Amino acid sequence: MSNLKKNTAIETVVAIVDDLTQDWGLDLESPISADSLVAADLQFASVDIIQLCVALEQCYGRRFGFQDLLMKDGSYVGDLTLGQFAAFVDTNLNSEGSPA
Amino acid sequence: MTVRTLFIGLDGATFTVLNDLIKDKGAEGGAVMPFMASIFAKGSRAKLQSTPNPLTPPAWVSMMTGRGPGHHGVYDFIRAEERGDDVFFTLSDSRDCRVETIWSIASRQGKKVAALNFPFTAPPPKDLNGVMVPGFVPWRHLRRNSFPDTLYDRLKAIPGFNVQELAWDFEQEKQSGNELSDTDREEWVSYHLPREKQWFKVAEHLMSEEAPDLMAVLFDGVDKLQHQAWPYVDPAMQTAEPSAFHTRMRELSLGYFRQLDGFIEQLVKAAGPEVQVFMSSDHGFTASTEIVRINAYLAEKGYVHFRELPPGDAGQRRDNSYFAYLDWHKTIAYCRTPSCNGITIRVARNPGETGIAPSEYEAVRKRLIRDLEDLKDPETGERIITEIHKREDVFPGAAMESAPDLQLVLRDYGFVSVRNVLPVVEKRNYPIGTHHPDGVFFACGPGIESGKLLGKRHITDVAATLLYSLGLPVPSDFEGAVPPGMFTADYKAANPIVLGAATLSGTGGVQAEGMSDDEKQKIMEQLQLLGYME
Repeated sequence: MSNLKKNTAIETVVAIVDDLTQDWGLDLESPISADSLVAADLQFASVDIIQLCVALEQCYGRRFGFQDLLMKDGSYVGDLTLGQFAAFVDTNLNSEGSPA
Repeated sequence: MTVRTLFIGLDGATFTVLNDLIKDKGAEGGAVMPFMASIFAKGSRAKLQSTPNPLTPPAWVSMMTGRGPGHHGVYDFIRAEERGDDVFFTLSDSRDCRVETIWSIASRQGKKVAALNFPFTAPPPKDLNGVMVPGFVPWRHLRRNSFPDTLYDRLKAIPGFNVQELAWDFEQEKQSGNELSDTDREEWVSYHLPREKQWFKVAEHLMSEEAPDLMAVLFDGVDKLQHQAWPYVDPAMQTAEPSAFHTRMRELSLGYFRQLDGFIEQLVKAAGPEVQVFMSSDHGFTASTEIVRINAYLAEKGYVHFRELPPGDAGQRRDNSYFAYLDWHKTIAYCRTPSCNGITIRVARNPGETGIAPSEYEAVRKRLIRDLEDLKDPETGERIITEIHKREDVFPGAAMESAPDLQLVLRDYGFVSVRNVLPVVEKRNYPIGTHHPDGVFFACGPGIESGKLLGKRHITDVAATLLYSLGLPVPSDFEGAVPPGMFTADYKAANPIVLGAATLSGTGGVQAEGMSDDEKQKIMEQLQLLGYME
């Protein structure tokens, strides 16, 4: 995969999702953005979410522990926006952690 | 064409079936696999001992690394992390392999490789000299996981290329573990015919365009077909007066093998007369005749405590998910997934964690082994679990701590069920295919012994053999070796087997993200496709 890392986390997330979904034949009402919901708007299934997490980790060269984003109080979070993914990445990048 | 080594993986292939398919049946018709018959005649072959749990992830990764699961660390489709009072699960991927693969070893020594449809090659390595299209990846993610990143668009230009036929279709595949209707079983076998054709077309195209030193492609339909169609391909299960459905299913299944034989023939011929050809399977096959609900048994013995199912649809989905839904505060030993066929003992190593105290480990494990030995057929007194291995005995290595504490082998080689259903042992309505530890390994071409049946070899030997065929040293830390007797004395004199430097480190062993309960359930549903579910 070519390097899709951009200046900001949200730009990176959008670029990765653009790349990821280019062959899916999605009929989107609006362009992929921070407000796009992965399940409702982009038709992500569980395995697609896992692949997005892997793509982000590969792009940044580190693991992020996405369970903290995907779960809240032991329960599944119904849907997430790309902005939430970006914010989670930002938080992790700004906290201490060793690169993979 | 400069292909030096052609490796064809046949997932789940067994001599039990192949030996029958290469026979010329005379008046009944010629051999189903005449080209395979010629390879048997002019090459050498051996049974191939699989990994302690003869399962796709540990077995293919051992084949690709020359090392056992205790070193590479891939034991199952799913990797679990014990975290305090919960267990998180995530899908394993190539980053979990802790040791170097032959694709990387060959690449860094200047050899060009093409590896197609092998599991746990996604995401692809960054150091590859050649091309890679991973297996076990849904079509929507094949572009991103193919290497180099321009490859996918090249594949799309192949006439007739259809990525949705080529790649995993989880929705379709998840039927394989269920008891299907006759119609569904027929459709199941038919489904795999175009898939293999797609992989063949990609292999043929890339072999011609890339001319790699090592050309490797895996045909995984053998495994998938045999899970549902075992009664129609096992020679021992054929009768003099089969039903019309049985006859139709057998013909359909034989048609699959006939087509596969043609693909192999075309690939071998396209590679040219100087190529050395190797084929192997990750495990063999046999019939599973009973369901063994291991967590239900462990619950009877007090090790497992099931959690109360939520009401309504959620509870129904949970009950049908085949995934252990356990009370982690009380459970001290359990089976994580049906495919692992192992028991994990929960040890509380840090404050706040649930499980037994570390000092209790040996006593609990000893008692657990005794209880597992006591699971017997009430009619015959025969043990249901015929082998119980401690992990240090079968998974020595730096990655042993990720292994189940006990590895089980059932009397019919079946995979366990983790459902909360009784009885613990129940006869299946009809036999289904399951994995047998004896796979296949054969070779032919210049420098290979002709018509020779070798003693049983180990799955880690394949990697050593492929590197030797490429003219490369065998890394000193490989567990496998080049099989004595596979190559001619003259060839070995001209091409001595050289032990080389140890492999470089893999990239795995780091922490991955977990999944929600719903995620776990969905993944487990997807794993039904692999035929390891009740």
